[in-house]
Amino acid sequence: MAAAREIVILGAGHNALVAAFYLAQKGLKPLVLERRAMAGGAAVTEEFHPGFRCSTVAHAGGPPLPSIVRDMQLSKHGLETLESPVRLFAPSLDGRALVLMTDPIAASKQIEQFSKKDAGKYVELHKALKRTGAILSELLTLTPPVIEKPSNEDLWKLFKVGRKFRGLGKKEMMRVLRWGPMAVADFVAEFLETDLLRAAVAARGIYGAAMGPWSAGSTALLLLRAASDPYPVGNSAFPRGGMGALTSAMAAAARQAGAEIRTGAEVESILVKNGAAAGVVLRGGEEIPAKRVVSGADPQRTLLGLLDPVHLPPSFAVKLQHYRSNGTAAKLNLALDGLPAFTALRNVSDGNAALAGRIQIGPGIDYLERAFDDSKYGDFSRAPYLDISIPSILDNSLAPAGKHVMSIYMQFAPYRLRQGDWTQQRDALADTIIKTLAAYAPDLPGKILARQIITPKDLETTYGLTGGHPFHGELALDQIFTMRPQLGWARYRTPVKGLFLCGSGTHPGNGITGASGANAAREILKDLR
Amino acid sequence: MGVRSPGTAYVLLHHYMGEIDGAFRSWGFSRGGTGAISNAIGAAAREAGVEIRMQAPVARILVKNGAAQGVVLETDEEIRADAVSSSVDPNLTFLKFIESRELPDDFLEEVRRYKYRGSSGKVNLALDALPDFKCLPGPGRHLRGAISISPSTEYMERAYDQAKYGEFSHRPYIDIVIPSLTDPSVAPPGKHVMSCFVQYAPYKLSKGTWDEQREAFGSAVIETISEYAPNLKSIIVGKQVVTPLDIERQTGLTEGNIFQGELSLEQLFFLRPVAGWARYRTPIRKLYMCGSATHPGGGVMGAPGRLAALEILKDTGKGKH
Ligand SMILES: Cc1cc2nc3c(=O)[nH]c(=O)nc-3n(C[C@H](O)[C@H](O)[C@H](O)COP(=O)(O)OP(=O)(O)OC[C@H]3O[C@@H](n4cnc5c(N)ncnc54)[C@H](O)[C@@H]3O)c2cc1C
Ligand SMILES: Cc1cc2nc3c(=O)[nH]c(=O)nc-3n(C[C@H](O)[C@H](O)[C@H](O)COP(=O)(O)OP(=O)(O)OC[C@H]3O[C@@H](n4cnc5c(N)ncnc54)[C@H](O)[C@@H]3O)c2cc1C
Repeated sequence: MAAAREIVILGAGHNALVAAFYLAQKGLKPLVLERRAMAGGAAVTEEFHPGFRCSTVAHAGGPPLPSIVRDMQLSKHGLETLESPVRLFAPSLDGRALVLMTDPIAASKQIEQFSKKDAGKYVELHKALKRTGAILSELLTLTPPVIEKPSNEDLWKLFKVGRKFRGLGKKEMMRVLRWGPMAVADFVAEFLETDLLRAAVAARGIYGAAMGPWSAGSTALLLLRAASDPYPVGNSAFPRGGMGALTSAMAAAARQAGAEIRTGAEVESILVKNGAAAGVVLRGGEEIPAKRVVSGADPQRTLLGLLDPVHLPPSFAVKLQHYRSNGTAAKLNLALDGLPAFTALRNVSDGNAALAGRIQIGPGIDYLERAFDDSKYGDFSRAPYLDISIPSILDNSLAPAGKHVMSIYMQFAPYRLRQGDWTQQRDALADTIIKTLAAYAPDLPGKILARQIITPKDLETTYGLTGGHPFHGELALDQIFTMRPQLGWARYRTPVKGLFLCGSGTHPGNGITGASGANAAREILKDLR
Repeated sequence: MGVRSPGTAYVLLHHYMGEIDGAFRSWGFSRGGTGAISNAIGAAAREAGVEIRMQAPVARILVKNGAAQGVVLETDEEIRADAVSSSVDPNLTFLKFIESRELPDDFLEEVRRYKYRGSSGKVNLALDALPDFKCLPGPGRHLRGAISISPSTEYMERAYDQAKYGEFSHRPYIDIVIPSLTDPSVAPPGKHVMSCFVQYAPYKLSKGTWDEQREAFGSAVIETISEYAPNLKSIIVGKQVVTPLDIERQTGLTEGNIFQGELSLEQLFFLRPVAGWARYRTPIRKLYMCGSATHPGGGVMGAPGRLAALEILKDTGKGKH
């Protein structure tokens, strides 16, 4: 048998690629094994209809931590980020719409048409999110401390964050503490009065979560996201060539640093010898011995699926079974003959520019909450919340000339349906999404050349997300920071010596930031020292 | 909140916090109704030297140079005092009894933000006989404890869904007790009293007013219970429907919130009622808070009152150290 490798990483999602890069930099020559034919995980570009490509799963960028972009020299490896000046277009059924520009002053001019008060408050909200986001962003790159007995290093790092936190002043500090556990519907109401605008901001607190805007703790998710981008409605940055271009650049950087990446290599089990990780076995039987195994797959798949449970303390296994990771998201990708005409833009001279960012269908707080209600009882929303992008407007590499691709993120589609299964319901889901959107852009159905529907079940079977969860597990108050994926095991290590986690199911695990991967690499290197 | 709402586990623990006659986590009955508890506490207080005056509604709290000096009753009677402690909610205490110029703007802003949003009501029924439950017919011990109409978590969640959009639940969660079974003094011989605590009844309705909806609300409760105890309608001899608006009118509890403010995570512990002012003190010297709007919150448990007293004693130098 071959000599044991220093490190094997299973899964080539963006977090694993980031971890591979940092480990390779230290000369460890990690081997990355990906079950699919391509690296990238949920951040990939695929051709779903001849000539039409799009970010089939995640479509707008995290964004990756600036330190990662710098360290990996992603632009040198081909990453070009396209930023739409319009962040969000949010139409309502009464024919009015918000077109929120990146420039907060321009955005507030737009908002003025709805409310003078909100125009000012929007700028204020942006500033507030900038202030708190700056502090929370420090937490993103921190290894969660051990609560019972924090090390000196933990304390020092927390102290530094704490000092910044206190720098906010007492009033602001208390505000942040109060905000976290709040329902995001209450949070936005503290600033804004226009329902359409409230919903545009609040959606950020429920994106990818099994929560509605009235769920407690949804503000924490909004704040966590503000740590990556404080702009109230989030970003609209698209890599040229789709999300796959980002992960291709990451893969190239990792390879250059010395990592090896094998696709079409599904890990079937993780080998354990004498209580420590000893390598992996691939489907087909190939054994790859290794001193350390790092998993970029989700915690449940890794620890309950690939590991013999005898290696886990029973209480750990039971708690992990209760880790909530049933997703509520789905995707619909459309190949279009041309751009759809939105009713709300009929009097706007350069209407297409408004479509270049993200488009939100979710015109009010109650609308979003009702969409969530359906999913609580095992139905998909009849009037869903949609987050849409048409990346081909800024990026002509994705569709034939004059044609377009539309990427539609949909919520709420529960992984577990009360009636029937996703094989039976997939077309009904796609039809519902199209019907919902057609109420805002009536000519859309006539422009559809092809469609690709990705149900929560597909997210699991095709993309390897257990329960179809976009973030490898709910980002709820009881599953973040020191509790991700489990209290006592939030430091990228597992009960099996030499087995580590580096994916989204670890802190901070929120979208395509790469932070989980970078933090994990740091901890693994510490153990090697 | 619905049963699936994050943070509700806290409210559950909260209900387990008390201890009644040594039985940890029990919600007991008291002979003569909960009024008897208050009377007993009142008697103990009197014996210790407290004077209690009824029908003495406070209209204003006197403030001079940033310190409380006493109160003025609605009758204009002035009562001077070294310190004032308020057991009513922040809305009444700071927005009604005190002129806003006496308080810092930041603080007022937070007080206005403090959320009440009562969501429960009560239906009290006078009965000719005992209700007969389909699932367990006839009288028996099962009627002597709490009777809960909450057949599934989904049922409760759906009840909550309606309230989110400003409607009372048409099939509500109901917590029933029949105190006359344990305490015959509350009803004539052979008759009974049934007290039904109902969720959800949102203070702010999306359509109509509570005065218009009171009857319909009462009917929904009776209809719901009748599905489980079909004889109910035929044994009702009297009823009282208490909406959140009635709770507000009768008890002064703002928006009818039974706990003087929502028990949501952002309004608990050091954030109750207002961040930075969770230690029973207020921006006005010698003015204290001692009711359910302070930590640890609502329920007939007395903890806020005791903790507040300890802080007041500290300030007056009379506390034990
Ligand atoms: C519909 C949808 C839309 C989203 N939209 C956005 C968005 O707009 N912006 C954003 O920032 N985030 C978005 N997200 C979330 C984001 O895509 C994920 O959080 C992120 O991609 C997770 O990265 P990761 O590296 O941790 O894991 P993943 O990307 O899930 O990668 C894990 C990899 O492990 C592989 N794997 C699993 N098991 C094995 C095995 N046994 N052997 C070998 N390989 C294995 C998988 O095939 C996969 O490639 C979205 C997610 C979904 C589902
Ligand atoms: C329908 C309902 C059902 C409930 N069920 C239960 C239960 O089963 N078990 C439980 O533990 N808790 C229950 N509660 C909650 C519990 O009753 C309260 O949390 C508790 O009574 C609060 O006590 P407190 O001393 O803080 O304030 P309160 O009891 O509200 O006392 C405040 C007092 O101040 C008086 N006041 C108001 N304004 C003025 C003024 N201007 N001048 C002078 N006096 C004034 C009021 O008349 C009142 O007597 C229920 C509440 C309601 C409304």
